[in-house]
Amino acid sequence: MSDDKGQPPPAKPVTPQDWELLIDDFQNGGPLFQKWNSDHHHPNLIHALLDHCLSSLLKKDFPLKLPLLILLEELCETFFTQELQLDRLLELLRSVVQAPLDGITMTFALKEQFMVSVTSIFIAVDALDRFPPRQTESLVELLLTVINRPNHGVDRQTRAIASECLRELEKCYPCLLSSIVGHLWSLCQSERTHACQCYILLFAVVVYNIVDRRLNVSITNTSVPLVPFNVPQAVSGSDSSNINNKEVSSGLNFKELRKAMAFLLESPQVLFTPCGMMEFLSLIMPLSLALELQPSMLKVQFLGMIYSFDPLLCHVVLVMYSHFMDAFDGQEEEIVGRLLLISKETQHYLIFRLLALQWSLGFLSRLVFSKGMQKYRSVIDMGKKFHPDLFDPLALKALRLDMLAFWSICLDNSKTEIGSDEKLGTGTSVVKLFEMGLVSVSSFRWLPPSSSETAVAFRSFHNFLIGVWSPGDVYPSESTMTRESRAFGSLQGMLVDMTLGYPKLVPVIASFVDRLLACESHHYLGELLLQKTDQCLLPKLRIDYKLVSYFPIFDRIAENKTIPPCGLLDVLIKFMTFLVEKHGPDSGLKSWSRGSNILCICRTMLMHHNSSRLFLGLSHLLAFTCLYFPDLEVRDNARIYLRMLICIPGLKLRSILSFGDKLLSLAPSPLSNSFFSVQSPRHHPTIKQCQNISSYIHLERTIPLLVRQSWSLSLSPLGFGGMKPDFLLGSTTDGVPAASRENDSVVVISSSLSESTSSTINSSQETLRVMDAKISEILGTLRRHFSCIPDYRHMSGLKVRIPCSLRFEAKTFNRIWGGNDSSTNLPALYATLLKFSSTAPYGSIPSFRLPFLQGKPSRREPIPSDYTALDIVPAGESSYPEDEKSFCAPVSIDLEPREPTPGLVDVFVEANTEDGQIINGQLQSIMIGIEDMFLKAIPPPDILEDDLALPTYYSKLFDALWEACSGSSSIGREVFSLQGGKGAAAAAVVGTRSVKLLEVPADLLVQAIEQYLAPFVVSVVGEQLVNMVRDGGIIKDIVWKDYVPDSVSDSWRSVTGFDTGPLHLTYTDDDNDNDKRNNMIVPTASLGRRNIGTILVLIFLPPRFHLLFQMEVSDLSTLVRIRTDHWPCLAYIDDYLEALFLT
Amino acid sequence: MPGGCGVRALWILNSFDAVVFSRKFPVVERRWKAACKAEGDNSAGDHADTVKCASAPFLPNDSELAAAFAERKGREGSPRGFGIRLAQSTQGSDSWVDDPITRHVISLQIGGEGGGENKLLLWPLILHLKGTYSILVLPLVEPKHLKAYAKLCSKPGCGDTVGEEPSLSSLLLDLPSITGAFMVAHAIGDIITGDVVEPEVVVSASPSVGGLLDSLTGSIGITGIAARAKPVAAPVAAATPSGTAAAGSIASDAPKAGSKPLDKDVLRYFINSAMPFGTPLDLNYLNIFSIKANGFSSSDLPPADVKQPAWKPYLYKGKQKILFTVHETINAAMYDRDDISDTISVAGQINCRAELDGLPDVSLPLTGLNKSNVEVLSFHPCAQVPEHGMDKQSVMFSPPMGNFVLVRYQASCRRDPPVKGFYQLSMVSEDEGAFLFKLHLMEGYKSPLAMEFCTVTMPFPRRRVVSIDGTPSIGVVSNTEHSVEWKIIVSGRSLSGRSIEATFPGTVKFAPWQIQRLPSSKLGSRNIADEDSDVEADNTNNMVNVDEFLMEKMNKDLPPVDLEEPFCWQAYNYAKVSFKVTGASLSGISIDPKSVSIYPSVKAPVEFSTQVTCGDYILWNTLGKCPAAT
Repeated sequence: MSDDKGQPPPAKPVTPQDWELLIDDFQNGGPLFQKWNSDHHHPNLIHALLDHCLSSLLKKDFPLKLPLLILLEELCETFFTQELQLDRLLELLRSVVQAPLDGITMTFALKEQFMVSVTSIFIAVDALDRFPPRQTESLVELLLTVINRPNHGVDRQTRAIASECLRELEKCYPCLLSSIVGHLWSLCQSERTHACQCYILLFAVVVYNIVDRRLNVSITNTSVPLVPFNVPQAVSGSDSSNINNKEVSSGLNFKELRKAMAFLLESPQVLFTPCGMMEFLSLIMPLSLALELQPSMLKVQFLGMIYSFDPLLCHVVLVMYSHFMDAFDGQEEEIVGRLLLISKETQHYLIFRLLALQWSLGFLSRLVFSKGMQKYRSVIDMGKKFHPDLFDPLALKALRLDMLAFWSICLDNSKTEIGSDEKLGTGTSVVKLFEMGLVSVSSFRWLPPSSSETAVAFRSFHNFLIGVWSPGDVYPSESTMTRESRAFGSLQGMLVDMTLGYPKLVPVIASFVDRLLACESHHYLGELLLQKTDQCLLPKLRIDYKLVSYFPIFDRIAENKTIPPCGLLDVLIKFMTFLVEKHGPDSGLKSWSRGSNILCICRTMLMHHNSSRLFLGLSHLLAFTCLYFPDLEVRDNARIYLRMLICIPGLKLRSILSFGDKLLSLAPSPLSNSFFSVQSPRHHPTIKQCQNISSYIHLERTIPLLVRQSWSLSLSPLGFGGMKPDFLLGSTTDGVPAASRENDSVVVISSSLSESTSSTINSSQETLRVMDAKISEILGTLRRHFSCIPDYRHMSGLKVRIPCSLRFEAKTFNRIWGGNDSSTNLPALYATLLKFSSTAPYGSIPSFRLPFLQGKPSRREPIPSDYTALDIVPAGESSYPEDEKSFCAPVSIDLEPREPTPGLVDVFVEANTEDGQIINGQLQSIMIGIEDMFLKAIPPPDILEDDLALPTYYSKLFDALWEACSGSSSIGREVFSLQGGKGAAAAAVVGTRSVKLLEVPADLLVQAIEQYLAPFVVSVVGEQLVNMVRDGGIIKDIVWKDYVPDSVSDSWRSVTGFDTGPLHLTYTDDDNDNDKRNNMIVPTASLGRRNIGTILVLIFLPPRFHLLFQMEVSDLSTLVRIRTDHWPCLAYIDDYLEALFLT
Repeated sequence: MPGGCGVRALWILNSFDAVVFSRKFPVVERRWKAACKAEGDNSAGDHADTVKCASAPFLPNDSELAAAFAERKGREGSPRGFGIRLAQSTQGSDSWVDDPITRHVISLQIGGEGGGENKLLLWPLILHLKGTYSILVLPLVEPKHLKAYAKLCSKPGCGDTVGEEPSLSSLLLDLPSITGAFMVAHAIGDIITGDVVEPEVVVSASPSVGGLLDSLTGSIGITGIAARAKPVAAPVAAATPSGTAAAGSIASDAPKAGSKPLDKDVLRYFINSAMPFGTPLDLNYLNIFSIKANGFSSSDLPPADVKQPAWKPYLYKGKQKILFTVHETINAAMYDRDDISDTISVAGQINCRAELDGLPDVSLPLTGLNKSNVEVLSFHPCAQVPEHGMDKQSVMFSPPMGNFVLVRYQASCRRDPPVKGFYQLSMVSEDEGAFLFKLHLMEGYKSPLAMEFCTVTMPFPRRRVVSIDGTPSIGVVSNTEHSVEWKIIVSGRSLSGRSIEATFPGTVKFAPWQIQRLPSSKLGSRNIADEDSDVEADNTNNMVNVDEFLMEKMNKDLPPVDLEEPFCWQAYNYAKVSFKVTGASLSGISIDPKSVSIYPSVKAPVEFSTQVTCGDYILWNTLGKCPAAT
């Protein structure tokens, strides 16, 4: 406030303005106050200020006496810490009280305030207990002399205030005035001015304390003189609770006390102000209890106050009722009725109408739940009075609706208790009540959802709903179940209808449901509501653009596990179809937003449901979207979701999706988040020159990747791809749990494929194994195969070699590393050491050494003229390609994959320049694609490479693995030991399947296979195809079959269960009709395209996995059935196949 | 010490959330501290720490309180708060309790910013908004009550079943100190805005008679209440609870524009007299200020053998007479529809001024009570109401000084409504509406019933009226920017003994509609995703008519109303009628001056008058939407 006054030591206030500032500041707890109060160097500062205050108060013309007094009063604990100060204060009071009036500076008002403040200070600092009683005695004496002039005309108000002061002292120090109670009584009796209320209250409080402390004092005795006053023994003892026991013996003088009561009860209701009455009755009620008076006396005298329009008086009656429940028995109806009427009195301030309703609610609930419903039927029957009126403020309407809700509960319970089933069903009556009440805020249906009417309506809805619900404990009743079904059902129905009729309300309803769902005890209610919505709302929805407004509720439904997602998926598919159909030039961005919203819901479903429940519908939806949706981004996103749905087992999918809530919520670039961990080159700037080393030293793949993989599925938190891959059974520590996890996840997928909803296949449950000849043959093949695979844990594993080439740009190099920047001289690197590392599981990658490498001149520049003068002349400099070659050094990166996954290999280079400078830095990372992992299966040593038996072996191996990876494998949990495996080290085959439709003509397909997959083809089936492939001459040494054995293709078909072809959908235009929705998606696989043959491809993925393609080649398209025993690789295969054939 | 009501402290804040006046009562505070100590002893280790610190013996200083108040205002959108649990309500805040009364009984978290550790809960704070001021009163409750509330407002879950204990209702029932604090807050509110008006007593001869202050002080003005309005014949001052709501605003809770600076001296004096130690004794400021102005002289003798009531510090001396005025306010919702019936209700009161010597009792027989379907009767505390209520036939009372409201009642209208008919408004285009009034005035009303004036107003708060076209069959028409006013009967030419029919066809032109983005600070500005564009696009296609389209368009950004309003007025088209009828009451209540008796018997003339004014007398647009209640 006044910072300018804040210099220490604070200046004493002199002018009234100073004082005003000081007072303001002290009340604010401002800087001045802090200064005065907490300056430790001047402990007496505050006392000095007090001195100054007190002397100012003495000054005749000091204008701020009242505010200053109040300040002293409010901060008395700070100011008054010593006896001396109280003495001075008392002295001051005496001089003021005894001073003659002059009407200007010395007024009654000042005297009164002085008395009040001093009394207040005495009480607040606990003068009687902390200081000698002498001071309190003199204060009391002073006050007593003031009041001891009954009926004195002029100072009647001052006397009233003085008796108030005494009353406060007596309240604070019970029985302080007990010795002079006789005098007080006679003063009371004689006082006839309006001050008599204060006298009576003073007397009443003394009597109350006497009775309360059970003090044996005669209240008629006036033998002790009024002044001088002495603090009674009973009070001066510091521990006042002792007196309780000491004086109890003699007991109370009941006769006298009853006489006093009779005097007190004479006619207070005519004399007292409402506030006075409140004080009075708070004394009288315990008194009459203690003196065992008939409470009906009070009733007769005071019950009428409930008819007053003064809220305090009404409340007094209620307080009285709660004190004397029994005496007031039978009055409930009158009281409640009266309270309800008060709430209707438009003349009242709103708050009192609200209070009246609150009281009656509190009152009724106390009655009903303490004493049983039946007793208060009459009260309950007043229900119709609860209805809101038109001009009632909304707050009042809300409370009245509460009353209705309460009434409906009571009504419900009373019916149950009586057992009489009145014709009106319980449910209907509650609903009727609610509907009738709701009319008063009915405009919520068309007002904006943020309107207060809406808030009130839904609040009331909530109250009715949970009121009707009340499971068990609070209102025990057997009819809970029926109520559930009837009333609750109807209310639910209303809500659903509302949702249907007023789409604007959907967000409100959604947050309403949220509120229930978030509640522990009513969570179930929310679920019921959603279920009902799912059942009743979804089928009725019209598929048009307005559907978007229902998305908030769809989101809730999608989240809820208890609701089968098929209904919602159905609606979404229809809507997607609608969007595609209606797409026009002006709906661009809107289509994007709607499509994205739908995908959001899909994601929610993916996160909250088992994939098995979703699979069919969702894959339809997503596949349709990625094929036909007009917006590219939505298509892309749908593709990602689809891929995830197909490739990732449910459990893992959910944990992936819930990594971060925002991860996949259709951010502009969903790929650039932590889920798809983009391994970007890291720079380790050591010295300035090394910073951009990768810009001029290049390590590049010799064979470019087909798919420029920008991401890799990083599953390290799930135990995949981490340092310890747990694909291999038998590692002694965590082998078993790992296996079970693995198995579990596959079960989810496989069961999803067969559309069986059972997710109960227990991982520990051993599949029943029937060994027949065929199976044992398969097992034999597999065992043989696996025994050829080296176990990298015990011996060196399989290697994958990535050929690369290293080169650097001479010009840039020179510019940075100085030397002869005239570019007359080509720089060179000596003793180059390339080190590799990767976050992907590629084992340890051996570093590569290169003794010498010459810089490559910039292509655009001519080779400098004196170039030939150099000592070192690369061979064949004249021919350009040769030239190119000579500046590139071949480098190979040997990976020993622990898991077949794409990734990045970081490359660090260390080299010396000609002048001995050390180059040290990181190069552009090398991208490793899935195709790098493709290896031919290792043939057993007993089969020679050129042997004709080899193609047969591969074909057999293919069949065996195909069968083993079918998921529902009949090979059970057979484990296969690997080469070099010790003891328990073995591998199990757990398969996953997928399909991919490639719309490429057969000849192109064959070309691509010849180019990229030729080594892996194990068999070609079908005459036409065989002819095609054989003619190419590239693919050889395989098994050729001219015919397609029916049994084989049949079994493939039936096993895959994919014949309904969820991945290729034909969208038919005319199909808008609800009933025809099943026809909407027509699998093309069964359409009569001519199958010209099958190509079987077996790819070995190090360290021990397999990827099998069975390509059913038709003229214009090819269906690739994919099986693998390493499901994560499916994530990349899709891209790979597309890149392979479609580009 | 059981019961009673004490006030620990009170604060008055201005519109900038700065404390302009505060008062703490150390005596009551000491009781609070003692109670806290006892509670702490009783339940050591019983409750969680949060509750412990909630009941700490602590009062904030002015700046802390102001900061906490501003913080709450920011959090809850307005000084009053949401009142209802909305999506944006936070656990631990008042609106979490989900009870509209938390707009009046609020809690404050003191010591806000530094996390939950040091926060102290201050409850119950009575919030009364008056003029530009916010008055906060903190009554004394027991620590257990505070703890109960702290639990209520931070209880997880979606809310309790109505009536389930513990509830806010039962707390309010147990705490008369809250009620008392409201009385204090209202009294202080009246004083700081100068709204100290006595109820009006009209006598046929002279339009109005002064009240208590006039009879005592004559022309001496009293500091601080100089703004006291002399009652005038025009509409009753809406400032006292006896007045009734003007359209769209609640009687006295509505802030009044333009208040004068706070007179702290008057306030200090009032507090010192009315509640010297924080416990209110008498909140009748008229009495208190007359004592301040006049004091007592030795000639003011106490009555000889009876005690003088505390509410009557002075006794009347002079010529004796007794005056009664029945003042009724009529509220009506006229629909002119088959599916909704019209509602008409009368809120009435009998104002009295008894200039009688000594302390007499007066018996006032009420006639017409049986027939008039009186629903509620409430009485001044000076009336002696027997245990079982009034027999509805006569009131016995001992009148205080000055003008006072003796009885209040709610009744139905026994006559035909003074104005009936219909109002139709139809939008011809987006900016032009055609309307038609057809009204019957005073049909079936005989002399001496007279209508002094009658005005019909069509408010268009959200549109700007450009022009009005059309001629009424009677009266004059004028328009302001946001309303059209039709004066059917101009004051001074009262209508008596006959009825008239008034028609008014016309058109009203508006300025083009502009989206009004009002700062919707009040009840929840919920962020609802803007996918409405879809809905809108759809609407334009299958739009039914201009009215509905316009309605939809205009209602879209309608701000939520305060919970103190009955409904969102702005969402409807209506015409509001105001008139004044004299001569007899509409409820049928009447006083027979001859049968008024005074004990001890004295000869004093009794005068009686009646006037009926309008509260919300609404003609809903028959062609539009309208609110209903049953």
